Amino acid sequence: MRRAYFGIGTLLGLLILLVSGSSPGARTDYDPERGIITLPEPASPFIAFNIWLKVGSQNDPEGKEGLAAMTAALLAGGSTTEDSYEQIRSKLYPMAASYGYRVDKEMTVFTGRVHRDNLEAYYTLFSNALLKPAFSQEDFERVKSQTLNFVERGRRYGRDEELSKELLFSMIYQGTPYEHPAEGYVESVRSLTLDDVKAFYESVYLRNNLVVGIGGGYPRGFADRVRRDFDALPAGEVAPVPAPEPRMPEGVKVLIVEKATDATPVSMGFPMALLRGDEDFWSMMAFNSWMGEHRNSFANLFQVIRETRGMNYGNYSYIEAFPLGYTTQQPPVNVGRRSQIFEIWIRPISNTTPTNLHERVLFATRAALREVAKVVDHGLPAEEVERTRNFLWNFTVNWGNTISRRLAYAVDDAFYGLPEPGYLAGIRPGLQALTPEGVNEAIQKHIQAENLWIVFITRDARNLRRMLLEGVPTGITYPGPRPEAVLAEDREIATFPIRVRADDIVIMDINEVYEGR
Amino acid sequence: MRTLAGLLLLGLSVAACADPATRSADSVFPFETRLVSLDNGLHAYLIRAGAPGEVAFVSNVRTGSRDEVEEGRTGYAHFFEHMMFRGTEKYPDYDEATSSIGAARNAFTSNDATVYYLVASSEYLERIIDLEADRFQNLLYSESDFRTEAGAILGEYQQGALMPGTYLDRELRLTAWDRHTYRHQTIGFEADIRGMPEGYEYSLSFFDRLYRPENVVLVVAGDFDFALAERLIREHYGGWEPGYVPPAVETEPEQTAPRDILVEFPGGTLPIISVNYKGPAWSATDRLAVATQVLGAVAFGSNSDLFRRLVLQERRVQSLGAGFGLPRDPGLLTIQTMVNDPGDLESIQAEIEATVERFQEELVDAQFLADTKSNMKYGFLMRLETAQDVAFALISFIINTGGIQAVEEYYATLDQVTAEDVREAARTYLTENRRTTAVMIQAED
Repeated sequence: MRRAYFGIGTLLGLLILLVSGSSPGARTDYDPERGIITLPEPASPFIAFNIWLKVGSQNDPEGKEGLAAMTAALLAGGSTTEDSYEQIRSKLYPMAASYGYRVDKEMTVFTGRVHRDNLEAYYTLFSNALLKPAFSQEDFERVKSQTLNFVERGRRYGRDEELSKELLFSMIYQGTPYEHPAEGYVESVRSLTLDDVKAFYESVYLRNNLVVGIGGGYPRGFADRVRRDFDALPAGEVAPVPAPEPRMPEGVKVLIVEKATDATPVSMGFPMALLRGDEDFWSMMAFNSWMGEHRNSFANLFQVIRETRGMNYGNYSYIEAFPLGYTTQQPPVNVGRRSQIFEIWIRPISNTTPTNLHERVLFATRAALREVAKVVDHGLPAEEVERTRNFLWNFTVNWGNTISRRLAYAVDDAFYGLPEPGYLAGIRPGLQALTPEGVNEAIQKHIQAENLWIVFITRDARNLRRMLLEGVPTGITYPGPRPEAVLAEDREIATFPIRVRADDIVIMDINEVYEGR
Repeated sequence: MRTLAGLLLLGLSVAACADPATRSADSVFPFETRLVSLDNGLHAYLIRAGAPGEVAFVSNVRTGSRDEVEEGRTGYAHFFEHMMFRGTEKYPDYDEATSSIGAARNAFTSNDATVYYLVASSEYLERIIDLEADRFQNLLYSESDFRTEAGAILGEYQQGALMPGTYLDRELRLTAWDRHTYRHQTIGFEADIRGMPEGYEYSLSFFDRLYRPENVVLVVAGDFDFALAERLIREHYGGWEPGYVPPAVETEPEQTAPRDILVEFPGGTLPIISVNYKGPAWSATDRLAVATQVLGAVAFGSNSDLFRRLVLQERRVQSLGAGFGLPRDPGLLTIQTMVNDPGDLESIQAEIEATVERFQEELVDAQFLADTKSNMKYGFLMRLETAQDVAFALISFIINTGGIQAVEEYYATLDQVTAEDVREAARTYLTENRRTTAVMIQAED
């Protein structure tokens, strides 16, 4: 907060500051030695917390998949040695405040937000949750029962599109610590005990394994005090988990999940050696935005599959993991990973007659693959690079629109070891330096359309398998006349090759999904 | 620092810097506001809030699936929302026009509202107003585009059609409502959606009757010049012809006996019990209506005795929640729980009924009532961080009343709600003849 907004002296300026804090340019400070990130925005009435533990589902012991998530869930949703969980809820209630957690492959964060009037009372509850857990058997049984209900039923009979995305990652990361979902398998969750959770807490909730992040209008000296409080945790070593090295699939590999449904989501992708901070990152960000910016209709995949053909609700692409994309327009935070994939998400394709589901699903799949192949073969024209740069220039400003998000981005910068000015503030300089040549070189380096995994969730999996193996052309019909140019392209899409061998298609029943490793 | 003392401080600390001419020191809504009213009936609220250099432009249309009164035309409010992105003669490519300024924009439709929003840098205010005013007055799409877009709606329907909550809600509405349009979900009936490609002419008349200035309220929140915004709004929206034709939404006949339905879900789920009562319409000034919302929280909310016992202590249910947010017309007050053991269904239902009876007899604890009021007020204020948050926090007030004065009225009424009012709400609305109970279980294979 040393730049930009100190000069505003009017009442008006003060009001803006008071209510909003400041924009993504606010100055964060990261001290890796002490493990503290501060984002002071002194005029803001809100204080945000982001306690980052350098632990994720990759640290789950074999057979105990889901343990990191269960531990975090119990801390955030359980009693402390000071207060029962009921008392905690009662105390938070009049403040309309809460705290929560997120566990991803490599990161666990505990987040909270409160008005400064209530800071002391709130902070006591929040810090106790992490530092003085009671590990009550009753709380554990509740959290475990809720998790089991999710893995046995909610995940299988909830949003198929989210499940297909999760399965894509599991297929690509087979045999690595990224393979299992954070919540674990049915079998592994069943096996978890309160002793497992206690032991996990003792082994990884260490003072030198966490970073304390604080942002907003907290009082002077407060951040130091928080860090000191967390220094009460023991010191120790957490065995490092090697970064996953997913194998590039040879050819097209397919998972078909059998489920009674009239609509089928498709997820496809392949591993890609690209992380924030890499030389090609901004070029690939521009490419990806053009190809399939999340929830934006101007992007290419959306235009081809939805806007022109009305096949589904949306079609997007990603160069960084984007869990729970259906819930948000903004990119997720605190899903830092040392390995990423290129991912395409085709939202559920519906049948339009009782028998044409698979024809339409394969048409959309082919259309997406063809778009990828086209850009690899022909490159991205300079004017498209320029158009995308203009879009991202302003669009990305909104990504850091709250203190909580700005703080979370600062935590992610620490995860990736990004130098100043960090990711958010680095976007515009990165965009400024883009060249069409650079973007096209990056596409050539990272993108291809031959080797990938495809996941379908659909009824009559054997029929889809047959159509894939036989290479059956798949057309599309419309409820009205379409321009000849569209129809001509349709004919090309209908026969676009998906080269897959019988051995490379796996069929799984929905009730077997994530049952065990 | 619990309860209302803290609240007052929050209100004051934020309010202290606002322009004293536009608001009083004890207002709940803490931002400088200007109302712009046009002769054609359009209202626009200009609000200074959010981060420097940013503006959120929100068009609130007071039309939702509630207004779909014609047979076979359910889902059109939402469908029409999609068509609003198809361009005009002046801006044939809305996607291109908004992406070129890097705007984050979208829309959503509910029972009572269709809301369009666009968040962008304030430097584009003039372009934004031109774009939005233009599409609300001069929308242009071909029948072919219309038919294509119908496919996207079908895809959207399918995304959630087989999720337990959606599945149950669909069946519940058909049982609880006889005449009122709350009988159908906002997305519409599947048969109507599949018939949408044939509805081009109807869609044009929908636009003509409902997208009129008297039925639209703009909220422009952010960091921008009020005078410039007012001038531009007058300029760009002033020529919009009034002509709103309110749809004849049928009044639901009084329910005379409890209704029950058993729903079999074609997939894996624990049993869900949904107990619903016909409640009042939303109101900022009717104490009983506001007390009804308080009742939901104190009797069935996440700090209620019932929640504590069933979820935390006995762990007989996965979750328990109250949906007592009131819609524009009298709607359903919902108590919903997911039960761990199918054999426990009847006794959990009995627990809910016993809780209803308890709140019809007893007065809620004074401290709990105060905490609940504090929770509701802080819940509102804690949302007000970004310009878009501020604009969105006003939606229900605008949709139900046409303006934002209701914010102050609502919280003043809330302050006055007594334990007796809460009991009266339970006696008035949580009665057997207003009740519809849906139980959903997993279908046999």
